[in-house]
Amino acid sequence: MIITNTETVAGHQITKVLGLVQGNTVRAKHAGRDIAAGFKNLVGGELRGYTELLTESRREAVQRMIAQAQQLGANAIVNIRFTTSAVTSGASEMYAYGTAVVLQPSA
Amino acid sequence: MEILIQLLIIVAPLVICGLIIGRYNEKKHFANVNERESAYEGFLTSQLKSYPGAVLPAPAPPTVVVAEVVIASDYLKSFLSGWRKIFGGEMKSFTTMQERAKREVILRLIEQAHAGGFNAVCNVRVEGVDLGGNTSRQKVPMAAVIGSGTAYHAHKAPPVSPASPVSPGSVA
Repeated sequence: MIITNTETVAGHQITKVLGLVQGNTVRAKHAGRDIAAGFKNLVGGELRGYTELLTESRREAVQRMIAQAQQLGANAIVNIRFTTSAVTSGASEMYAYGTAVVLQPSA
Repeated sequence: MEILIQLLIIVAPLVICGLIIGRYNEKKHFANVNERESAYEGFLTSQLKSYPGAVLPAPAPPTVVVAEVVIASDYLKSFLSGWRKIFGGEMKSFTTMQERAKREVILRLIEQAHAGGFNAVCNVRVEGVDLGGNTSRQKVPMAAVIGSGTAYHAHKAPPVSPASPVSPGSVA
């Protein structure tokens, strides 16, 4: 599965557009991580727990999007976008969406 | 008066803690980011939707790269922002915090692309994430950023020497 966030794929031709595919998830870290983040907010530095949270959410959302595309019989998803929205503090919604297409290497 | 002194006893160590450890962490991060950025100086990044200088046919199909980073504030930054809100103006301490997050996320995109054997990233998009629940009552200042881009193979651009002026027609 070729996934890009551009509308076209270099060296390939879109032969069929199958439509929008999407995946989303809302995740949170356990309370321990939230407390640790509170302490980290006194001294600065990277909040690795929250970075991990975003990575996990993004993977999950992309997986769900890919599953939809596979169901449609696509071999690529182009022009994918990520958006997030605040649900409550310490949790995030990650929403991935793109256009499922059939690609062919251009001669 | 006594309440004021008690408040000072609580706040002062936290501010000093932020001043020393927070400043140290920020300096260390900036040094790290500067070093990695200069290591990837020749790497072609753009936020164009087309593939500038793509190698055709492609040795490997282009692929998306995604990275995210969350940078914490420190107590001094939060404390200073409180004062800044009274007088207005640029919140310098938060500007540098956001700058660190954004530069870090672009570096992670480049590193991912490099690890995948690519030498260019196009269509770089960077956006903020509301993770601290800034829309709710409990406000936790932090810089959460997600970035995405498409990694591909590009022709190595010829090195431009500043000594030889490039005439407008000669750019292929």
